[in-house]
Amino acid sequence: MDMKRAYYEDVELFKSGTILFWTISLMVGLLTIPLLASNYHLYLLNLIMVHIILAVGLNILVGSTGQISLGHAGFFAIGAYATVLLMTKLGLPFFPAIIIAAFISAFFGFILGLPALRLEGPYLTIATLAFGLAIMHIIGHTELFGGRSGLSAPPLDVGIPKLGWSLVLKSDISKYYLILFFTIVMVWGAINILKTKVGRAFVAIRDSDIAAEVIGINLTIYKTLSFAVSAFYAGIAGGLFAFVLGFFDPVTFNMLLSIYFLVMIVVGGLGSVMGSITGAAFITYLMYALFKNVREVPYVGDFLVTISQRWLSITGMDNLSAIALGLVMIGIMLFEPMGIFGAWIRIKKYWKTWPF
Amino acid sequence: MDLKKVLMVMLVSVFAVFLFAYQGQAATERGFDDKEIRVGQWGPQTGPAAPWGSVARGSKLVFDIVNEEGGIAGRKIKYFIRDDQYNPSQTVAGVRELVERHGIFAFVGGVGTAPCQSVMGYLLENKIIWISPCSGASAFYKPFNPYLWNMWPTYENDASIIAKFAIEKKKFKKIAMFYQNDDYGLNALDSVKYRLSKNKMELVAAIPVEPTERDLSSQVQKLKASGAEAVIGFVSPTQAAIALRTAASVGFKTQWMHSYNLSDYALMNKITDGLWAKEGVITGAFTQEPYADNAPTKKYIEAMKRLAPTERWGIFYMAGVVVAEPLVYALKKVGKNLSTEAVKNELNKITDFQGVGPKVTWRADYHMSGKELQIWQCDPKGEIIVLQQWTKNEISRD
Repeated sequence: MDMKRAYYEDVELFKSGTILFWTISLMVGLLTIPLLASNYHLYLLNLIMVHIILAVGLNILVGSTGQISLGHAGFFAIGAYATVLLMTKLGLPFFPAIIIAAFISAFFGFILGLPALRLEGPYLTIATLAFGLAIMHIIGHTELFGGRSGLSAPPLDVGIPKLGWSLVLKSDISKYYLILFFTIVMVWGAINILKTKVGRAFVAIRDSDIAAEVIGINLTIYKTLSFAVSAFYAGIAGGLFAFVLGFFDPVTFNMLLSIYFLVMIVVGGLGSVMGSITGAAFITYLMYALFKNVREVPYVGDFLVTISQRWLSITGMDNLSAIALGLVMIGIMLFEPMGIFGAWIRIKKYWKTWPF
Repeated sequence: MDLKKVLMVMLVSVFAVFLFAYQGQAATERGFDDKEIRVGQWGPQTGPAAPWGSVARGSKLVFDIVNEEGGIAGRKIKYFIRDDQYNPSQTVAGVRELVERHGIFAFVGGVGTAPCQSVMGYLLENKIIWISPCSGASAFYKPFNPYLWNMWPTYENDASIIAKFAIEKKKFKKIAMFYQNDDYGLNALDSVKYRLSKNKMELVAAIPVEPTERDLSSQVQKLKASGAEAVIGFVSPTQAAIALRTAASVGFKTQWMHSYNLSDYALMNKITDGLWAKEGVITGAFTQEPYADNAPTKKYIEAMKRLAPTERWGIFYMAGVVVAEPLVYALKKVGKNLSTEAVKNELNKITDFQGVGPKVTWRADYHMSGKELQIWQCDPKGEIIVLQQWTKNEISRD
């Protein structure tokens, strides 16, 4: 399947009319969803899209370049704090603020990329982990950053308030469209990056960094660049997250969050943009919505609560959501090591020849 | 122009249209019908902060009792708990789900300053009654919020009353302060300094500690070197326990006095292996003593044994009861003709209301918690001795 006869076919954005058709259908769907969804669902969708941006970026680093990061909550935090602080302290409009914030995050990514030149595997993991934790504490210590009490996001003004041209996005719907715009641009960017010289260099480093160096890829540049690109994505995601949530403190960006980010791309499928998207959407849904209201399910809810309180623990029901998340992760790794995206490819292959 | 460019232009223009077209929409739910009144709370039922989850379950006891007695004007209270794992983004998800899918009339309690702050704006926007976040942070009363009523004493009042007791009753001359380096500790530090300056005294030492620090030997050595007769602590339970152990091991004998957040003596004795009782630690307290000899307390304990036998009648569980009491009181006053405005008016009339918690008085422009606290001490058997009944902070600046 998917045989390519020319280089152009490989770099094409839409490989066939079918894909173009479905992409456009998806766009129309995404644009009309808010008309049907409640605010609660919009909040979940916004969160999912923020996580998609981050996961796509993280996958460039982990899936495509073969480096690991347990510190992405740190970049996420830098994006959120920098965006809000640039807006409140320096009075920058939203768009420049979030872009500058993403570049600040990318700069930190570049810095973190430097030890990655010497460290590999578990050692690199520890270094990135330490970075994530350190960021949390540095923010907590610094009065300018709101310390441990946290920061409130200002009104989301996408205009230029200083010139009197102000457009404040208040509702979840308007935030949805803003985040959707960023998500599409960032995902589109990621698909393109992976098809350029840079993207191919990343993949070469993942497959064998010595071989990559032999064929003329500068490891110093590309490894740090991969960290920087990935951190840039996390920065944008963080800047949007600040406004989805409206209030955050350093503990919001804890180590567990970094682990969840990693889970998203592993479950979704390493090294693929589509995998990051499905993984982020799936895990976010599991984390925030699945089984959260199990108590209110008619009949079954009361029954489960009674069992839990009688035989397990008083809070047993609330563990159900975490248990389900864990089981799903184990299940996917056991039966579909390539992640959700791997399953998708298999399904596609199967139907291609159906009914034969 | 090629296809890509056309597509981009189309996308951007469609976005622009949608951005402008869907500004502002508000859906308000009444949160009750003829059969039920829906009340919610969030709290960490799982994760590292899970011990505080009993607050949310404590409130359930109050509502269960009401329902057992036949409800309020024919309506039962339907109570929802959402586990947020002490994570603001989970709190927002849970609260929105409750408000938009179930329709919530009022929220009670809610643990943690950050989770509470993350939903404060949303609840105010939707005009949902909220009786007391379990936090003494100033963000909940400054600026004034017409739909949020506070019961949790401020750290300013807590610290000031502890310092007053140390100076006036215990006649301590050398007082040191051991505080967490954030709003919680810094508010208290400021308050203690203010109280001391009124008595022409100064702290012999003020030692900060970071919330995540676990080796406290240098801090304890400094406290020891200051020769303090009493140390006022505003730290987390874990750090208080570590400090107490370290002090015992270096032979530093002093009177430890802690914030009301550490008034769960059963828990504190457990994590200090009984040192808490041995040292006779003094704390502030904002609830009645758990086994007070009065009718409401006995009623709750009896009901808990029957309705929630696996729970422990501790301070956190009681805190859940405390935040639920005023809502039930106001709902009963309103009776049949229920509405958010009616309950709001009743809450704004509450004067010297006291259940098993602190006394509160609210007005239409005043939703602060009470300024009265008790002083307790842990006796060698781990029981509570009430050293001082409800005392008002007469120099409160809140």
